[in-house]
Amino acid sequence: MAKEKLLEVKDLKTYFFTEDGVVKAVDGVDFEVYKGETLGLVGESGCGKSVTAFSIMRLLDYPGKTVGGKVIFKGEDLLKKSEEEMRKIRGKEIAMIFQEPMTALNPVFTIGYQISEALKIHLHMNDKEAMEKSVELLKKVGIPIPEQRVHEYPHQLSGGMRQRAMIAMAMSCNPTLLIADEPTTALDVTIQAQILELMKSLLQEFNASLIMITHDLGVIAEIADRVAVMYAGKVVEYTDIRTIFHNPLHPYTFGLLTSIPRLDVELRRLNAIPGFVPDPLHFPKGCKFNPRCRFATDRCREEEPPLVKVEEGHLVRCWHVDRVKEEVKKGLLVGV
Amino acid sequence: MKRILKKLFSNVSSLVGIILLLFFVAIAIFAPIIAPPLSDDPYQVPRMSWDEDPQPPGFPMSDNMKEIYQYMGKKVKWTKAIFGTAQGGYDIFYGVIWGTRTAFKVGIITVVAAMLIGVFIGSVSAYFGGWLDETLMRITDIFLSFPFLVAAMVLTTILGRGLDKVMIALITFGWMGYARVIRGSILSAKEETYVMAAKALGVRDGRVIWRHLLPNTIFPVLVQASMNIGSMVVTAAALSFLGVGAPLGYADWGQMVSFARNWIIGKPGHAGQYWYTVFYPGLFIVLFVLAWNLIGDTLRDILDPRLRGEL
Amino acid sequence: MVAYIIRRLLLLPVILFGVTFLIYCMFSLLSPEERLATYVNNPNILKSTQASQRLIKKFHLDDPFPLGYIRWADKIIRFNLGWSKAANQPVWDAICQRFPATLELVMYSIIPVILVGIWLGVISAVHHNDIVDQSIRVIAIVGWSLPTFIFGLFVLFVFYGILGWLPPGRLSTWAQDIVYTGTKFHNYTHLVTIDALLNGNIPIFLDALRHLVAPIITLSYISWAFLLRITRSSMLDTLRKDYIRTARSKGVDEHTVVHKHAEKNALIPVVTIAGMMIVGMLGGVVITETVFTYPGVGFWAATAAQQLDYGSVLGFALLFASIMVIGNLIVDVSYALIDPRVRLE
Repeated sequence: MAKEKLLEVKDLKTYFFTEDGVVKAVDGVDFEVYKGETLGLVGESGCGKSVTAFSIMRLLDYPGKTVGGKVIFKGEDLLKKSEEEMRKIRGKEIAMIFQEPMTALNPVFTIGYQISEALKIHLHMNDKEAMEKSVELLKKVGIPIPEQRVHEYPHQLSGGMRQRAMIAMAMSCNPTLLIADEPTTALDVTIQAQILELMKSLLQEFNASLIMITHDLGVIAEIADRVAVMYAGKVVEYTDIRTIFHNPLHPYTFGLLTSIPRLDVELRRLNAIPGFVPDPLHFPKGCKFNPRCRFATDRCREEEPPLVKVEEGHLVRCWHVDRVKEEVKKGLLVGV
Repeated sequence: MKRILKKLFSNVSSLVGIILLLFFVAIAIFAPIIAPPLSDDPYQVPRMSWDEDPQPPGFPMSDNMKEIYQYMGKKVKWTKAIFGTAQGGYDIFYGVIWGTRTAFKVGIITVVAAMLIGVFIGSVSAYFGGWLDETLMRITDIFLSFPFLVAAMVLTTILGRGLDKVMIALITFGWMGYARVIRGSILSAKEETYVMAAKALGVRDGRVIWRHLLPNTIFPVLVQASMNIGSMVVTAAALSFLGVGAPLGYADWGQMVSFARNWIIGKPGHAGQYWYTVFYPGLFIVLFVLAWNLIGDTLRDILDPRLRGEL
Repeated sequence: MVAYIIRRLLLLPVILFGVTFLIYCMFSLLSPEERLATYVNNPNILKSTQASQRLIKKFHLDDPFPLGYIRWADKIIRFNLGWSKAANQPVWDAICQRFPATLELVMYSIIPVILVGIWLGVISAVHHNDIVDQSIRVIAIVGWSLPTFIFGLFVLFVFYGILGWLPPGRLSTWAQDIVYTGTKFHNYTHLVTIDALLNGNIPIFLDALRHLVAPIITLSYISWAFLLRITRSSMLDTLRKDYIRTARSKGVDEHTVVHKHAEKNALIPVVTIAGMMIVGMLGGVVITETVFTYPGVGFWAATAAQQLDYGSVLGFALLFASIMVIGNLIVDVSYALIDPRVRLE
């Protein structure tokens, strides 16, 4: 099946020009999102995954600035659009869901008002129509007694309900692309599963694409079709969901995989990745993962590896793909 | 601490504030050299003549005044009123120079005393909590129910004229802000592990407050105190301006300005002829307060966690 | 919220007791003779020690604390605040007569302060750290550092001394004749500007306005500097909130983001500050009225303080403290009404 490309991010570079120096939060990121498909963007906090999302939406806060690359959405470069054109895309074509539903909803407006706002802007509904549509949306995301809830304020809802309202808000204008920034992180585990289920069914219903930003591979396993693993502002591994779990080829991806507890594998110890995420002001020379990598050689410390295709649909940024492959085969890697 | 000092010196406005402040410190220290006193009490502003009208800058001391000072056994080291004289022949230059000392005295004493009271009440209130906290906070509310200047004016009127009375009034109604700030920070610090640990080990309450809580919470209070010096000095000056502050002839900026009150409009046909009566003392007050506010404003931004890293 | 308001109302008598008690404490700092003086309208009586002692006994002015306070408070409740030497009339009458002038001044000062202060504060925050923000900030700090009595004298110097435009006082002599002694002019509210309009007397209205402009400028500039910085910091804080980003992600335009989503949140704390601002103004009233010889309660109190007229000064303190207590109550309650997080608790 030939898939239609909805979004293509090419060599995206977003830097923060701070008093202490330039922080290269996103430094040459490439990926594509196909129609109706979910892309998982994975990495530890501070790896640049949220900044990537805000760069796509062009919602960067001062002193952040996108300095290079392309964000091609439906054949047009979003970075070249005027602020006015961009506003017509936000909320209508591309919508966003945030991590903290408490802080992401405005405390002084009712839920109904906040949902209907986008409807009024993009679909030119009047107050009454927008309110009715809001009730309908709330019902759709599984909020009981929506007629009453539309008139309530965010603090009157539970965390899970708020996130559902947030989703209703994002889906209100039938966007073709949804960007979800850690939408389940702040929620209880049981609620997390419900929210993911809800998102899955809505995506299907609306035939929308999703970029799921998370540090949690469990969430990825649940929802994503393809995965881009990010480290220190760059994509280090990019492939489909099966491969990432069964045949990962970047040492960092391993680290992430082996650091989640699993029930199906007998495990001697949980394998946390040694060391810390590097300071964005002082990235190491060469491969940025080298100080934490047990495969690291002198070459890794000198030269940064490019993102290369190792198999069809599998890109990895590592000098030692062959050695990693060996170890995977031998089953030397704990937990895999 | 180092970071704060670095910010203070790298920010233009706070640097201006620091320079102004050093200028005033120098004036206060060298007052006896800049304007040698002519009477036993250096804070008594010498009179250049018996004239009721203000006299313009450069006005020479009248002969009979000179005789009086010589009769009193004083050496008259200077005879010109370089900033002019205020109503009643008081020398404006002498008044503003020695008024600098008065300003520092009033500002520092009242702020330190008010801070001590406030910190004591606030920390006791936060540490022990319960009905004691409730009572002390209601008392704070009651004191806060008076506009500061009005309260200070009333109490000074009742206590009688004099700089000491002014300071008592300013302290009596000036401690509440500190109590509230320290109470807030101690309430949050109280839950920290190190305080819990100290209490669990049986450390005495007074010691917990003194050794563990205050060192970690006092800084915002100190900042507030530094910002408050300016407003205390202004209020003291305002009381003198209203005629209930420093005694007549005392070297005090507020009184120098109050001397100008009747003359500010000038005589018919000579609008603005007495500008110097308000200009010099006014300038000193404004620059003094500005110095503290510029420093305080920067400190506030540095310490405001919401604005941190934004400057 | 109902519980909150009830709790707040129950606190009112406690605060009022505290305030009156504090004033009584100051009253008791006076000697019995001085205390007597605050009730006597004929100073000659005070010259005779015997008569004084007799009156002190008769009016129980040397009672010890609890009884003394009760007797004093009893008089206060009956609006017997003593005799004002400075006004040569009972303190309560003096207050009633002068309060409208002060009210008029404060009323006209608050409106520009709120409009200008909030407006500039928002602008300053939206243009965070650029030239507009920096200049507004510098102006605010300088304004903040200029004591009212100096600024007031400066205004008087320029606009009356040099230009002759804005005279001190409340009305010109010809207007006073019409307003206070004329038969055709009705004082409905005792606020001259409003009464003049109600009487259809435009010249009087303009005259009153001419006298009001300078005191209004003087009284309000410190408050607007204050309100500006509070609005600015509240606004800066709000603009960094997640929900602002949410609003933008919905495609809401920048104007609506700032003036609706952000402002509605940012101005909630500003309401509390507005209460504190009125406090600052009440203090400023004394100075402003004194500088411009504007015949309100502040000018009267300052004159009384200079004459050691304790009764007037204490009555004045009681008046202003009561206004503040009630003002704070209104602010707290309206705060609860505005913020849905408090309102729906």
